Amino acid sequence: MVTLNFALMPEAAARVHDLLVCLHKFSDTVAIEARRERFTFTALNSSKSAYAALTLDGSTFFSKYEFVPNKGRQDGRFTCSMYTKALLSVFKGRLHDPSGRDGAISRCEVSVQDQPNQTACRFIIRMFCNQGVIKTYKLTYEAVEVMHALFDRNVAKNRWSMQSGALKEYIEYFGAKTEMLDIYAGEDGRGAVFKSYTEKIANGKEVLKHPLVTAVAVNTTDFDEFKVDPGLHIIISVKDFKAIVSHADTLKTSLKAYYSQPTRPLQFSYGADGLICEFTLMTSGAYTGAPSSQTPALSRAHSRAQSTATERSEAPDAQRNMPPPVEPASRRSTRRTRPPGSQRVAPPGAAPEEDDNNNESLFIPERQEEDHQWDPMEYNDEQETLGWDASAAQDDAAYPTFRDSGSLAQRMEMERKDEGVAPTQRVSQIKGLW
Amino acid sequence: MRFKASIQNISTFTKLTASLNSLGPLAWVKLSEEQVCFTIIPEQGTQVWAVLSIDTIFETYTIQSAAQNIINLEVPLNSLNRALKSALNATSAQIRLTKKDNIPLLALTIVTTSSTSSRGAFPPGGNNYEDGFETSTFDSGFGQSRETVITQEVPVRVLSPDLVAGLHEPQCREPDVHIILPPLMQLKSISDRFTKLALAGGKSASGTTASHRTRLEMAANMHGCLKMSIRTDAMSISSVWTDLSNPELDPSQVAGGEIGIAEHPSTRMKQLGSADGRSEEGWAMVRIDGRDWGKVMSVGRLGGRVIACFCHEHALILYVYLPNENGEEESVLTYYVSSYSA
Repeated sequence: MVTLNFALMPEAAARVHDLLVCLHKFSDTVAIEARRERFTFTALNSSKSAYAALTLDGSTFFSKYEFVPNKGRQDGRFTCSMYTKALLSVFKGRLHDPSGRDGAISRCEVSVQDQPNQTACRFIIRMFCNQGVIKTYKLTYEAVEVMHALFDRNVAKNRWSMQSGALKEYIEYFGAKTEMLDIYAGEDGRGAVFKSYTEKIANGKEVLKHPLVTAVAVNTTDFDEFKVDPGLHIIISVKDFKAIVSHADTLKTSLKAYYSQPTRPLQFSYGADGLICEFTLMTSGAYTGAPSSQTPALSRAHSRAQSTATERSEAPDAQRNMPPPVEPASRRSTRRTRPPGSQRVAPPGAAPEEDDNNNESLFIPERQEEDHQWDPMEYNDEQETLGWDASAAQDDAAYPTFRDSGSLAQRMEMERKDEGVAPTQRVSQIKGLW
Repeated sequence: MRFKASIQNISTFTKLTASLNSLGPLAWVKLSEEQVCFTIIPEQGTQVWAVLSIDTIFETYTIQSAAQNIINLEVPLNSLNRALKSALNATSAQIRLTKKDNIPLLALTIVTTSSTSSRGAFPPGGNNYEDGFETSTFDSGFGQSRETVITQEVPVRVLSPDLVAGLHEPQCREPDVHIILPPLMQLKSISDRFTKLALAGGKSASGTTASHRTRLEMAANMHGCLKMSIRTDAMSISSVWTDLSNPELDPSQVAGGEIGIAEHPSTRMKQLGSADGRSEEGWAMVRIDGRDWGKVMSVGRLGGRVIACFCHEHALILYVYLPNENGEEESVLTYYVSSYSA
């Protein structure tokens, strides 16, 4: 038998409403995980490319929080899943209204009825309204196992943080129907660009129906912190970003982003008043930065070698907890986002990846076109292409292009065997490990 | 082919695109050295031919093309309007014609400066922040000002001169009555209500719902009266405005000069009707679609002076004169609304 009782002040209940609104943009159901000291809402979208975990701190978020786990459960958790809409119909808007108008509550109490001797298990929410009215809601839930996406911030060397108010302003500039958001760190290290666009290519008259392409260029000084490899493009969904920024703005806090490299997860994190919000999103994108000298190229390669090492130790864990997010078909092309020239020099280690590509190519009718549209957009393609070629030819030790594919191939290998080292692994990578 | 300009009057440009967008999604934009023309020719309904002096919306205007420095574009108004909206608080905004991946674009470059709000100025855990002495170089008194550059790319189609050669502004006979319309907000709220009533009446009437029409009858005389009425099986409502003004014709603008004016249909109409609007005579009337009229009224947001020219049972032409500070060249939007025969 599980004991879970907690009470919320109106402000906190309103926060629950806000976070449910946000999670509803990701999934129709939310999963709930209660532990002794915290309570977590999680949501995973249908394409498994976005995962959200919003954690309420037991002692600071709630006015009362009590949880005694089922004795049968070793991990000391209670987990279940519910319809987001059902919860939203209980945690309506305007729960917290100082002027005490309709809908305002003075208190909210929640308990879980989960007893073996009762036929129905219910989530019971009691809203204490004005004039002594108490509204009681009994919601059904489904007992499910809750999984978490693991994200290792030590690997995520690229990070920035910015006030949600400013980001809110930026998302309002984006066109209504755009799909992708490219967050691009300028090559001079002084600027960053948020660019919303749509991949679809239309011909003739259809061109005019193409949504707006919006690029918002921001000085890095406008960030609270900005530490991103120059020239790095990371691409996520505009819809996810809008949902996250809008929610962060309800907390009037600053939003932090952590990521390592394209095709690896990105995490947004923010929090206030006992609420910690973490969103882990699948990414795509590429480096377009031409290493101007050898030094930055080397250092970058080095840091990536380290990150590869950490990933290796993390990967099996992640495997057990949750399958790696599947990229939606629309983003599959990312791995091929290597600039022209780099494909030619793919090392033998990349062979498994090539196989994979062939399988994927089933879903990509116009590979030529796909490649074309993934070209870096307005930042002078020619020079960048040349830069990549030069670096690959000059500098055998740094492998700016090899490294990407090499580590990828290795990762794929890892995912297949869960352990072991690919026979084609590079000595330089092994050095990073021991 | 080159076109580049800075947008001088963002609010007017935004309102213009919004007004035009209500009539049709695509505009033919003709840019030349003297003026900017926006034309909407929807499949059905009202046409708009707008001629703007360059300084109504642009300044530092550059245009070059092989065809007498004229560029014809087809522009999706919704995207252009959306792009312009993000410039409403801009410190500067530029527009230029460019090409990317072989798709021609109108690219807007918008610079906005906003001072970071108080919560931004004192961020939690300010260890990442430079201290006040360093940031003060960028400061404008208090708070940190942020400069953001937004680029909006609107896909367009370049139209060849031959393609637009076949497009002609509608020709119309001399109007019977010309009159300055009352404030459009007033006119719109009444016409909208009439249209709604007609629609509701149509629903209750059995049988004829499929072919139900919302015909407004608009009429005016040369004695400052405007009448708007709606008739259904169940009702007949009308509103009459009086004391409006009928502007004098300018002899230099009328074919035949003074003689032309003497023979002008409106001169004859002056002999008929009365200023109280009660007389049955002297009205020039058109039947227009209520919903289409609602779209036309969207131009009210530009706040221009509107002269309506009535050709009895034929057409209604609206000339919307945009407010112009310089008073040099006027910008006019011409709306051609045809009259239904029944």
